[in-house]
Amino acid sequence: MKNYIVKDLMVPISEYATVPEEATLYESVLALEKAQEQFQQSQYSHRAVLILDKNQRVVGKLSQMDFLCALEPSDANLDQIRKFKRFGFTRKAVALQQEEYLKNSPPILDVYSKAAQLKVADYMQRPTEGEYVDENASLDMALHQLTAGSNLSLLVTKDADIVGVLRLADVFAAVFHAMKESELQLSKGAAE
Amino acid sequence: MRELEKLFDRIIQRVNINLRELEYDVNPMVHDLIPTRQMTKFYAFYGITPHHPLNLVFKHSNLSGSYFLGKVRVTNSLLYKSDIRGDELKQSGDLFQYQDYNIQVDQDEEISIEDSFLIKTLVHCFTHDPETLENFFIQDTVSTHYANIHGSPTEGCFLGPFSTVDLTTVHDCVVGAYSYVQAGEINHLNIDPGTIWIRNPDNFNFMYRYPLSQLNDYIYFAAGSPPQGVFMDFVEDRKEAFQRVFDVVNIENPTNIPDSASLDRFAVIKPKTHIGENVLVAQRAFLQNSWLGKGANAQENCYIINSRLEGNNVTAHGAKIIDADMGTHVFVGFNSFLRGRPDARLAIGKESVVMPHTIIDVRKPLVVPPGSLVWGLVRNQEELEANSMSLKDFSKINTRMCKGNMLFEGSGGNFVSAFQDRIHHILEANGALFDGNLNRGHAQRNQNISFNTIQPYPKGDKEGLYPTIIIQP
Repeated sequence: MKNYIVKDLMVPISEYATVPEEATLYESVLALEKAQEQFQQSQYSHRAVLILDKNQRVVGKLSQMDFLCALEPSDANLDQIRKFKRFGFTRKAVALQQEEYLKNSPPILDVYSKAAQLKVADYMQRPTEGEYVDENASLDMALHQLTAGSNLSLLVTKDADIVGVLRLADVFAAVFHAMKESELQLSKGAAE
Repeated sequence: MRELEKLFDRIIQRVNINLRELEYDVNPMVHDLIPTRQMTKFYAFYGITPHHPLNLVFKHSNLSGSYFLGKVRVTNSLLYKSDIRGDELKQSGDLFQYQDYNIQVDQDEEISIEDSFLIKTLVHCFTHDPETLENFFIQDTVSTHYANIHGSPTEGCFLGPFSTVDLTTVHDCVVGAYSYVQAGEINHLNIDPGTIWIRNPDNFNFMYRYPLSQLNDYIYFAAGSPPQGVFMDFVEDRKEAFQRVFDVVNIENPTNIPDSASLDRFAVIKPKTHIGENVLVAQRAFLQNSWLGKGANAQENCYIINSRLEGNNVTAHGAKIIDADMGTHVFVGFNSFLRGRPDARLAIGKESVVMPHTIIDVRKPLVVPPGSLVWGLVRNQEELEANSMSLKDFSKINTRMCKGNMLFEGSGGNFVSAFQDRIHHILEANGALFDGNLNRGHAQRNQNISFNTIQPYPKGDKEGLYPTIIIQP
């Protein structure tokens, strides 16, 4: 584990799905689909799109969760219902109240066609300080950052530039393989 | 009057500091809501009875038109026409049960109001917080017209008009107009107007939210104006009737009342009112052309007009019943507004529970079946079906249920039992179950009560402030 550094495992930004700030949600998911087809390196496919400003700098990230959240209907009442957890209700209860409120809403296909034209910039997440990791940082360090922030990926930096994405799935695979290898060696030693 | 103005500024600053996380500024909400010249007009008064402790301490405060009973300390506060009723406070030696603990009360409980501004607010009951058993504190808090602080220590709060905090310790919260909260302990919440929330953690959780556009017809409160709407119009229209009971020193009972009943001399009783045995009528209650059967009660700020209560009815603080017929053992919760019409009466079947802060306002006759649980806004049969269930069916809920704007999670059986136990406790405490010997309650104990008045400085910098006053046996 100690021998790995972040850049050994990251996906280079050139292989990642990116779209400009002006892109729509639909254009974003098309870009994601394309990247998944072109750069399928492992069993874990890309799950996010990076958003670039006009200087080609990363200004945000749209995850699959952000995309699905954008499809959810929204108004002042729904915003209040989504805050019910702070009143001690479970997620199931919150979902039930949303379902009740939305039972007379338009059909889902209408919702999708409207959502496709929404601007990605309105739904992307702007990275916070804890979501950047240096390309030469140890994998242990990256692991600590991922678990502390419950992040699915980190943006990898080289000086001031973003050069790649370190995905939870790739870190998981590296850790899992290292664990498997050490277990095999231990059992081999015991047999000898 | 300079001191009074300084005191106002001091209180507002303290409340705002507590509410800074919610980015809530109390000042525009209450600035000029009660002009300081209005605060110098009225005397304060307190009750003396053989049954309640007497220990009142007032320091650097204005108390205009407010009433005190029991053990109360008021410091650096403005109390305008508020009722601080300390007749249910715990006493030294009492045992307080909380979960598996039996906690001994070491000294008489005290209501302690500090750095607060209470407008037409009722403070009653006793603290249910095991961490502060002997100190029912209200500090750095502003409450507005007809709010109820019922067994709820509060710190750093703003309570909107007709809101209620009930058996809940409240820290740094905003409670919107006509919201009702009974949730044990809450922190740093901004609760929207018209939110009815009853939570017993790991047991049940009930929430109903009024459609704001419709609630606004009944109560609307925004910065820069006094509260408006049907509720305010209703009480303002009857304000003059209270003038006489507060102006006259010796007032005769306007109706015959049985020995076991209690009629407060600061209640308004209009003609054709019948008061049965074990009935309790609290101060600032308003009765007109109504029948109160055995064991019924009308608590503070209740209005019962052209109505019949068959007996053992609980009409909680601030509830209003107009042109209605209530079966026996009907419970009407805090600040509920039940209004039939002379030609379209409202009937509520026996043993029904009308949840706190319920509005039933009908223009066609409406019958609520016996044993119902009713909540929210009901103006016709369709809304009754959407916002009610039989108590029996509600008891069967084991997981969660959503009905319109109502969301419930947990044990419906425990929820219903909790209400029924509390109703029984209220009847007991109010003396509804008195049999001529046992089960004395407020209806019997409040009969022999004397009232004294106290007044503020009439002029100068201290105009409106009351001098330091200590009243003890």
